Amino acid sequence: MENFASLMHGFEVALTWHHVALMMAGVLLGILVGVLPGLGAPNGVSLMLPLTFTMDPVSAIILLTSLYWGALFGGSTTSVLFNIPGEPSSVATTFDGHPMAKQGRAAEALSFAFLSAGIGAMAGVIVITLLSSWVANFALKFSSPEYFAVYFMTFASFVGLGGASPFKTLVAMAMGFAFATIGMDSVSGNVRLTFEYDVLLAGISFLIAVIGLFGLGELLQTMEEGLRFQGIKAKVSPRDVLATAAKLPRYWFALLRSSIIGIWMGITPGGPTAASFMSYAMAKRSSRQPEKFGKGEPEGVISPETADHAAGSAAMLPMLALGIPGSATAAVMMGGLMIWGLNPGPMLFVERPDFVWGLIASMYLGNVVAVVVVLATIPLFASILRIPFSIIGPLIVVVCFIGAYTVASKEFDIWVALAFGIVGYVFKKLDYPIAPLVLAMVIGDKAEDAFRQSMIFSQGSLSIFWSNPLVSTLMTIALSLLLFPLFGSARRGVRRLVTRRAAKA
Amino acid sequence: MITRFQAEIATAIATLCFGLVIVTGSREFGVGWDSSGPQPGAFPFYVGLLIALASAGTIVTTIVRRIGGSAALAEGFLDGAQAKRVASFFFPMLGFVVWSVLGGMYTATVVYLAGVMRFQGGFGWLPSLATAIGTAAAFYFGLEKFAQVGLLKGPLDMLLGL
Repeated sequence: MENFASLMHGFEVALTWHHVALMMAGVLLGILVGVLPGLGAPNGVSLMLPLTFTMDPVSAIILLTSLYWGALFGGSTTSVLFNIPGEPSSVATTFDGHPMAKQGRAAEALSFAFLSAGIGAMAGVIVITLLSSWVANFALKFSSPEYFAVYFMTFASFVGLGGASPFKTLVAMAMGFAFATIGMDSVSGNVRLTFEYDVLLAGISFLIAVIGLFGLGELLQTMEEGLRFQGIKAKVSPRDVLATAAKLPRYWFALLRSSIIGIWMGITPGGPTAASFMSYAMAKRSSRQPEKFGKGEPEGVISPETADHAAGSAAMLPMLALGIPGSATAAVMMGGLMIWGLNPGPMLFVERPDFVWGLIASMYLGNVVAVVVVLATIPLFASILRIPFSIIGPLIVVVCFIGAYTVASKEFDIWVALAFGIVGYVFKKLDYPIAPLVLAMVIGDKAEDAFRQSMIFSQGSLSIFWSNPLVSTLMTIALSLLLFPLFGSARRGVRRLVTRRAAKA
Repeated sequence: MITRFQAEIATAIATLCFGLVIVTGSREFGVGWDSSGPQPGAFPFYVGLLIALASAGTIVTTIVRRIGGSAALAEGFLDGAQAKRVASFFFPMLGFVVWSVLGGMYTATVVYLAGVMRFQGGFGWLPSLATAIGTAAAFYFGLEKFAQVGLLKGPLDMLLGL
C-alpha cells in the first residue's frame, strides 16, 4: 500500500504539461534513433545526455527513458517493414514480422508488435512498482563486501550465460574495467594509467565509448554489408489497430510467457536482445504448429516484442534499487544519474523518493504515449529510410562526432570516438560482446571501490567475502555462474568421449 | 581476402598487447597488498593480466579449432568488395575528423556532407550544398543558441563571425 501511495505521488510529479511534452519529444526522438541504422537506444541516450546536464534530474530522466521506449518501438518498425532491425533487440521480430508485411499484413504486424510491446513494457513496470522498494530495503543492509559480490555476480553472469565465447566476454569486460581506471583514482588520489598524457587525466568517458562502439561501429558494419532498403509501404488506420487489438486476447499465454522471460532477462543482466531471442525460441518450441513460424505467424511477432520491452523496462529495476544496470542503455542512464549528482542504489529511494517514483510513474505514462505516437507516425518515419544512405550515413556520422564533442568539449574525445568505432566494428564482426564493456566502464569505479573498502575492513583478507551468510551466498552464486561454461564444455567433452568409445566398440 | 582466422588472431594479439600495456602502466603505483588492502595499481594490474590471459586463451582456442579443421575459421572476414565499401565510408569520415580538429566542426560538416553527397551519392551541387549547409545551420542554432553548447571552431568560423 505504501508503494501505491508513493506511485500516486509519482504521477503527480510526472503528469505535468512540461513532462508530458518531454515524453512526446523523447518518444519521437527515440523512434527516429531506433529507425536509423547505426543509431540505437544506447547511443541515442548517450548523445542526448550532455544536453540534459543543465536540466532538473526528473525532467532529464523522463526525456531519456521516453527516448529509450521510442527507440525500442522504432527498431521494431524497420524490422517489420524493411527486414532490417533498427535495434539488435528487434532482430527476432524480423523472422515473422517481415513475412507478414510481405503478405500485405503490414498494418496487422505493426499493430501486433506495438500493442504486445506496450503490454510487455507494462508488465515490466508493474513488477518494478511492486518490487523496487522491497529490493531497495533489502539492499540497505548491504555494505561494501555485499556490493562487490553483487557486482561480481553481474559480471559472472555475462561470462556464464552470455552465449559468446567466455574468453571474449572476459576480454571485453576487463577492457571496460581498464578504461574505467584511467585517470584520477578516487581512493588514493593517484593519477593512474595516463602514461604522461594530460588528455587522459579526466579519464575516458563511457559516453564516448558508447557513441563509438555502438554508433560508428555499427555504421561501418552497415556499410560493409552494402544494404539496400527495400521497404513495404504501410499505413495503419485506427480500424486496423482495433481489429488487431481484438485478436490479442487469443494470445494471452504467449504474452504472459514472454513477459516473464523478458522481466527475468531484464532484471538479470541478460538484456532485451537475449530476451527476445529466447522468447521467440520458446514460442516456436511450444507451438502446436512450429512450421508456421518464419512464414508470418503473429505469435512470432508478439513473443519477441513482448519480451524485448518487458526486459527493457525491467532493466531499470536493478539500476534504481541496486545501482546495477540490467542493459547497456540502462548503464548509460545510470552514468547519467551519477553525472546529475544522484547516487543510484537503495539510498536513492530514501533521499529522492520524488525522483524514483516520478520516474516509475513516467514509465507507465511514457509507454502509453509511445504506443499512441508510434502508431500515428509510422508512415512518416518509414519514409525516412527511403532517403538514400549516402545522405543518412554521413548525417549519422556528423551527429555521432558532434555528440562525442559535446560530452566534455574536448577535441581528444573525437579521436577516442573514432578509435572506439574501429574497435566496435571489429568486435561486432568477431562476436565480442559489447554490453559488458560498457557496463564495466560505468560501474568499474564502484566495483573497485567496493572491493578496496572491503579490503580495508578486513585488513587485506579475502575471507571477508565469506564472512556472513548473505555475502557467501552471493559469492557462491557468482562463482558458479562464472564456472558454468566450464561445466558445459566438460559435459560435451565427456559425451564426445563416450560416443567415440561407443563407436569403437 | 582476410580470413576469419587471421582476423581472430590479429585482434587477440592486439588485445593481448593492450593488456600488457595496462599491466606495465599499473606497476608504477604498486601492485601489492599493504595494511589498507590493495595498492592503487593492483586492480588495473590484475585487470590487465586478465585481458592478456583471456586474449591468449582466444589465440589458443582459435588455433586448436583451426587444427581441428573448423570451416567457420576459413571463411572470409572481409573480401575485396566489402573492404572497398568500408574504406569508401571510413576515409571520408576520417577526413571529417581531421578537418574538425584543424578547421572547426561546422565547416567540416558542410564539406563532408556536400562532398559525400556530390561525389559518392551522385547528387547535384545544389541539393548537396543545400543539405550540408542546412544541417550545419540546424546544429548551430540547436546547440549554440538553444542549448548553449559550443562546438569546435576553426579559423573559417571566426571569419564568418560565428
